[in-house]
Amino acid sequence: MRDIVKIYPDGTIALRGVSLDIYPGEVLGLLGENGAGKTTLMKILSGFLRPTRGYIVLRGRRVVFRSAADALSHGIGMVHQHLALVPVFTGFENIVLGLRAKGDLRKLVEELMEETGLRVRLDVPVEQLSFGERQRIEILRMLLRRVDVLILDEPTTNLTPLETRVLFNALRKLRDSGKSIIFITHKLREVMEIADRIVVMRRGKVVGELPREKAEPRLLARLMVGREVFLRIEKPPSTPGKPVLKVIDLWVRSDIGGWAVRGVSFEVRAGEIFGIAGVEGNGQAELVQAITGLRRAEKGKVIFGDKDITNMSPSELYRLGIAHIPEDRQTMGLVLDMSVSENSILGMHRWRKFLGALGSLRWREINRHAERIIKEYDVVAPSIRSPVRYLSGGNQQKLLAGRELSKNPRLIVAAQPTRGLDVAATEYIRKLLVDLRTKGHAVLLVSADTDEVLQLSDRVAVMYNGRFTAITRPEELTEEKLGLLMGGMEAGTLGRD
Amino acid sequence: MGETNEPRRTERLPEWLVEGLLRLGESAIALIVGLAIGAIIMYVTGYDAWLAYKSLFGNSFLDSYGFTITLSYAAPIMLTGITFAVGVRAGLFNIGAEGQLYMGALGAVIVGWLAWRIGILDSVLGVLVAYTFGVLLAITWAYIAAILKVKRGVHEVVSTIMLNWIAFWIVEYFRVYLIYNPSDPSKTISMPPHARLPLLVPDTELSAALIVAIAFTLYTYYLLWYTVTGYELRASGLNPLAARYAGIKPEKAMITSFIVGGIASGLAGAGEVLGRPPHYAITTGLSNLYGLGFDGITVALIGANHPVGIIFSAILVGALKAGSRYMQIAAGVPLEMVRVVEGIIIVALAVPGTLRMVREYLRRRRELAELEKR
Amino acid sequence: MDAHVAWLFTVSVLNAMTPILLTALGEILAERAGIVNIGLEGIIMLGALFGVMAAEAAHGPLPGLLAGLAVGALIGLLHAWLTAYLRGDHIIPGVGINTLALGLVPFMLIVYWHSAGQHQVPDYARVPRVAGISPVTVFAIALAPIMWWILFRTSWGLAVRSVGENPEAADTVGIRVERTQAIATIIGASLAGLAGAYMSLDWLATITKEIAAGRGFIALALVVFSNWDPVRALGGAALFGFFDVLREWVKIMPSVKAVVPDTLLNTIPYLVTLAAVAGVLGKVRPPRHVGQPYKRE
Repeated sequence: MRDIVKIYPDGTIALRGVSLDIYPGEVLGLLGENGAGKTTLMKILSGFLRPTRGYIVLRGRRVVFRSAADALSHGIGMVHQHLALVPVFTGFENIVLGLRAKGDLRKLVEELMEETGLRVRLDVPVEQLSFGERQRIEILRMLLRRVDVLILDEPTTNLTPLETRVLFNALRKLRDSGKSIIFITHKLREVMEIADRIVVMRRGKVVGELPREKAEPRLLARLMVGREVFLRIEKPPSTPGKPVLKVIDLWVRSDIGGWAVRGVSFEVRAGEIFGIAGVEGNGQAELVQAITGLRRAEKGKVIFGDKDITNMSPSELYRLGIAHIPEDRQTMGLVLDMSVSENSILGMHRWRKFLGALGSLRWREINRHAERIIKEYDVVAPSIRSPVRYLSGGNQQKLLAGRELSKNPRLIVAAQPTRGLDVAATEYIRKLLVDLRTKGHAVLLVSADTDEVLQLSDRVAVMYNGRFTAITRPEELTEEKLGLLMGGMEAGTLGRD
Repeated sequence: MGETNEPRRTERLPEWLVEGLLRLGESAIALIVGLAIGAIIMYVTGYDAWLAYKSLFGNSFLDSYGFTITLSYAAPIMLTGITFAVGVRAGLFNIGAEGQLYMGALGAVIVGWLAWRIGILDSVLGVLVAYTFGVLLAITWAYIAAILKVKRGVHEVVSTIMLNWIAFWIVEYFRVYLIYNPSDPSKTISMPPHARLPLLVPDTELSAALIVAIAFTLYTYYLLWYTVTGYELRASGLNPLAARYAGIKPEKAMITSFIVGGIASGLAGAGEVLGRPPHYAITTGLSNLYGLGFDGITVALIGANHPVGIIFSAILVGALKAGSRYMQIAAGVPLEMVRVVEGIIIVALAVPGTLRMVREYLRRRRELAELEKR
Repeated sequence: MDAHVAWLFTVSVLNAMTPILLTALGEILAERAGIVNIGLEGIIMLGALFGVMAAEAAHGPLPGLLAGLAVGALIGLLHAWLTAYLRGDHIIPGVGINTLALGLVPFMLIVYWHSAGQHQVPDYARVPRVAGISPVTVFAIALAPIMWWILFRTSWGLAVRSVGENPEAADTVGIRVERTQAIATIIGASLAGLAGAYMSLDWLATITKEIAAGRGFIALALVVFSNWDPVRALGGAALFGFFDVLREWVKIMPSVKAVVPDTLLNTIPYLVTLAAVAGVLGKVRPPRHVGQPYKRE
C-alpha cells in the first residue's frame, strides 16, 4: 500500500499518506489508539472504502479495488469488529453466502473446521450462537474463499480468555501455512503475544515499525499515544456515605426474550464510583436500561434514596435526580440533527424553567442554559444553533455529559462514557466522573474498558451471563483474576466485601 | 500558509444557514429539471412548449386576475402540504391528506345541507360550524391511520391510501344519495349564500380561505419550533430512540402529528366548499377536490417540509394549477401536463442532496490540496 | 349456484388477482433485497398505457406485454439508481412516479387517442385466452412457487435475502450489494409494468385514467400480509381477488342493491386490505434492513 490518503465525506481526515508492506507467512500487528486510522486503512485494503489518494500494489501489479468482491477475488478478506453476519441465517448459510460454486460445500466446510480447529454449530441460526462462534464463522468463510491475506479487526474484544487462546492457535497455524494475517488491535499484550512484526499508527500516520524481538510494551505505548504518560487519573480519597441506589434481585429480559439480567443485587453509595466490568453483551446494557426506565424490570426492586423507583418512566427519574449518560451518544443520547440548544434540554424539556404559557418554549432561557454548558464543559461548537452533527465526538460527549450533570443529579449512570473518544476527551470525562464522586455524588459506571473500570472505581462488580461473579475492591483484582471472572469463573476465594 | 486560511474560517456562514440555502438551491434545480423535461414531452407530442409555459406563467403570475386564481389554489394545497410536512417531522409518511380533505369537504357540505333547513346556520355561525364539523371528520379519518400505526404497526402509506379510497366512495355515496342538489345533479347541495367565506377580491375566486390557510400554516411553524409539543414531535421524528431516552413517547408524537395533519386537511377541504366560487359544493366524482391532497406532497417537498417554505411553494404549485387552464387554451396542451411536471419535480427532489454532494466534493479537494502543501 | 356460474366466478377471481399477484411478487423480491418501491401504482398505470400503445403500433399483444415489462424495468432502474446507488430516500421517488403517471395517462389519452378519460383496446391487440384463462394469469400463478424457489433455494436468492437483512454481511463476502438490489428492483418493477399491460390488454381491454384504482398499494399491503413469502402471496392475492369480484357481483344482485348502495360496496377491497394488514401484524417480520439506505462511510 502506497501513500494512502483518506478523507471521509464529512471532512474527517483519517489517513495522511500511509505506506505499508505485507509479507506472506507472517502475523502483522497493527497497533494504534481509537481513531488512529487502522480500521480505515484495512477497509481500503479489503475494498470496502476507496482511498482518496494513493494506490495498492499486489504481487508487483498495481490494483484498484472497487468493492469487497474485487479484493476477495485477489485473495484479501477482512473480519470486521462488528461482525457482519445475517442473524436469521444458519451458520452454514452465513459461511457459504455469496459463493457461486456448487460442489459439496458442506463437506468442504467440515474439512476446513477440522483443519483449523475452528469449530461451530452449522445448522443453528447465528443469532443463537455465542460471539466466539460467530467470529469463527466469519474466519471460516474467508478461508473457504482461499484468502491469502486475512485481516482481523480487534478480534478479541468480546472473547473470553479461552476463546482468545483458540483463536491465536488457529492464527498461528494459518501463518505457518503461508498466509498473511493482519491483526488490528490496541492491546499491547496481544501484539506482543501474536505478532511477528508490529506497525504502530497514530493520527492517520505510521509512526513506527519493528519486529517483535525489538518491541517492548513501554516503547509501543509511547509510540501509540505519543507521550510518555498513560492516563492516570488523580483520585483523592473519599468516604462513601449513605446508599443512594439500591438494586435488589433484579431480573430483566433481553430483546429476544430470554433473561439478560438474572437476579442482580448491589448498592451505590454517595461519594463512590461503583464500576461494572465485563465483556459486553453479558447483561450490562439491559441492567442500565432497567435502572434508567428504558426497559421493564420483570422481578426485583430498584430503590433510589428511600423511594421505590422500579419501572418508573425516564422523565420521572430525571426529576428525582438521576442522570444517564447512555452507551451510544449518537443514537440515544443526542438528536444529531437538532441544534446544540435543543439538545441541551433533551429530557429536561418539560422542566418548568424552560416552559412558558400554554406549553411554549422559553428560548432565551434554553439558549442561556446551552451557553452555560458550553462554557462550563469546554464544548467546542460553531454556534448554539448548529446541529450537533457538526461537533466532534468528544465535544458531543462533553455536551451530553454537561446536560446530564445540569440536571443536578444525585446519581449518575454512565455507560461506556469514553468509547470512541480521543485521549484528551477521555481524560476529561474520566476526571469529571471522579470529581463528581469526590463531591459526594453517586456514580454507576459501566464500561467494557477494563482499565477504565479498575482505575476509576471504588468498588467493582464483574458481570457474566446476567449475574455478578464478584463485587470487590479494584486493588484486589489482578488481571488474571479479572480475566477469570469475566470468563465466568465463580470467585470462590474472592469475598464480597 | 496557515495564517491565510485562518481568518476565512471565522467569516464562514453558520451551518444552519448554509443548509437552508443549499436546500433552496436544490428545490430550484428540481423545478428547472421538471419544467425542462415537461418541455421535452410537449415537444415530442407536438406542442409549443415555449408558448405553453409563457401562457402558464404569464397568466398565473403576471395577470392580476390570474394571480388571484393562483392564490385560491394555493390555499388548500398549502394546508395539505402542512399535513404531509408535519408527518415527515414526526417520521411519518402521511399521504392521507387527500382522503382527509374529502372528509373535511363532506363535513362542510353536511352543515350546508342543514343550513338550508335551520335558518340560524345561514350566517357566519354556519361557516364556523361547517369548519368545525369538517375538521372533526378529517381528524377522525387521520386518527384511524394513527391508531392502526401505533397499535397494529400498519405502515401509514398503505393505510392512508386505503382510507383515501374509502373516503372517496363514502363522499360519493353522500353526494348521490343524501346531499345531492335537486336542481343540478352534477354536484351536491351548495352552501347557502350567507354561510360562505367572504371574497378577498370581488368577482374572483379568492376568498378568506387563503387567510385561514396562511394563519394555520404559520401556527404550525410556531407549534413545531416554539412549543414543547413540537419539540417532542421533531425529536421523535429525527431519533425515536433518543426521544424515548428523554422520556418522550414517539407514539404520542405520531398521533399528535396525524391530528395536526388532519386539522390542516380538514380546513383545506371545508375551505374549498365554504370559499370557492362558483360551486360552494362538491362536484361529480369529487372533481373539484381530486388531487388537492396529493399536490400537498409536492408542495411540502419543494418547501423542504418547512411551513415558511410551504407558503411559497404552495403559491408556486398553485400557479402551475391555475396557469394550466390558460396553457390549455393558448397552446392546446392538456392541463394534465402540470401533474406530469409535478411528478418529475418530486423525482428530481428524491436525488439526495445534489448540491451538498458537490460541496463535499469541493471540500475534500481543498483538504487534499492543503494536506499536500505540508 | 350452478357449475357454470361457479366457473365464471372463478375466472373473474383469477382475472382480478393476477395484477395484484404479479405486482406483489415483484415487490417481495425488491423488499427482500431491502428496497421499498411505493411507485407500483404509477408503474401499473404506465405499463397499461405504453402496453396499449406498443400493442396497437405492432398489431399484436405480445409487444404490448413486453412494453409493459420494459416500462417497469426502466422505472425500476431509475428507482434503483436513486435508492441503491445514490442511497436516497425510498419513498419519495415512488410518490413522484405515481404523480407523474396520474398526469401522463390522461395526457396521453388526449394526445394520442383524442379521448378524454378512456380508450377501448382493439381486438387485435388483446391477449388471447385459452378456456377463458389468460396466459398471464398462468404465468403469475406459476411465478409464485418459482419466486419462492429462487429466494430460498438458490445462492442468488440467499444473496438477495442477505442484502435485505444485513448488507454489510453481504458486502464482506463479496456480494455486490448495489447490483443485487438493482437487479431485484428492476425485476420487481417490471412485473408491476406487466401487471399494468395485462390489465389494459387482457382483463379490462381498455385504458382509463383510473385503471390502477389503488391496486399498486393493495399489492404493497399484500407484501406485508404475506410476510414476504411468495407462496403466501398467492393465497393472499386469491383472497383479495375474491373480494374484488364479490363487490362487482353483489352490486348487481337486486336483493343487495336495495339495501347497500353500490358506492359503499366499492369500499370493500380497501376495507379488506386494511383489515388484513391490521389483523396479521405482529406475526410478520420484515427484512431487517428494508427501506434504509446502506452507507459504508
